[in-house]
Amino acid sequence: MTMFTRNDKSQDNPAMQPSPQSAKSDTHATVTAMTEPKRPQAYAQPLNAASSATHAPSVSLISKALKITGQLESTEDIQIEGEVDGDVRAVSVVVGSNAKVKGTVRGEQVQLSGQVDGKIEAKKVILTRTARMSGDVVHQDITIESGAFIDGHCKPEYGKTDVKAPKAAIAASNA
Amino acid sequence: MAAFLNLTKPQQRGRKFEPQPASQLGTASLVKGVLDSEGVVEIHGTFHGRINADCLILGAMGNIEGDIVAREVRIAGRLLGRIFALTVTLEETADVTGRIFHNAVTVARGARFEGRMPWRPANYFETLDQLPETQP
Repeated sequence: MTMFTRNDKSQDNPAMQPSPQSAKSDTHATVTAMTEPKRPQAYAQPLNAASSATHAPSVSLISKALKITGQLESTEDIQIEGEVDGDVRAVSVVVGSNAKVKGTVRGEQVQLSGQVDGKIEAKKVILTRTARMSGDVVHQDITIESGAFIDGHCKPEYGKTDVKAPKAAIAASNA
Repeated sequence: MAAFLNLTKPQQRGRKFEPQPASQLGTASLVKGVLDSEGVVEIHGTFHGRINADCLILGAMGNIEGDIVAREVRIAGRLLGRIFALTVTLEETADVTGRIFHNAVTVARGARFEGRMPWRPANYFETLDQLPETQP
């Protein structure tokens, strides 16, 4: 036995080298000895969620088997493969080829391969060949692949606030 | 939308079953509404509303306000509301306020729970068409 086998100690011979816990009270020693082998089993299973917490993802994935009715917001990316009945807002939204969204999709970048009934508002919009878009697209930069379906207006919008600000400034200077 | 809980696993149901990756709502997400799933759902962000799923996992960073109906539920985060599930596991980091209607429950050492944990027979969950009104 090497010097640094703290974990092996109790297993090798608990009677010869009692752990400090059992040394405190002999009456409890038998109780702990009985419960100790069982205890890890009791919460060995639950622990894996705690380990998953250490790498909790910040991006969201709505898989095919999932349907959300309501509002979906994120300050990171969202990938939708399922069904969303409501508004989606995120930095980057990817709507997969079998996904369906009913509502407004907002983001810095929206990539659509599935179906959207509603509206897309994004700086950069990509409609792939499998995209089905029913509704308006408000964009600054749009890519439409051959095969994409659009029923609605495509409207470029280059920062409304930039237009308003000078007008306000003029009104202020006139007053 | 029925709260009816299908206790057979998706593989055993009639329809074509393809294994799906778990749905994840990341730490940065905020979702309000109803969530219906036939598979595994992991929630690491904030959710307000109602969840129907086969298996629900609430991560340690997660936060749910509302009711959960599932076959299996694992809670490592914060929950304010009710759980209706056959098997419920509260992890060490769980912080639950509300009621847990269960058939089998595991509570890890260190988990915080405030409320009641009524046991129900398995057929209670099968016939759960409408969630009962309960006082918090």
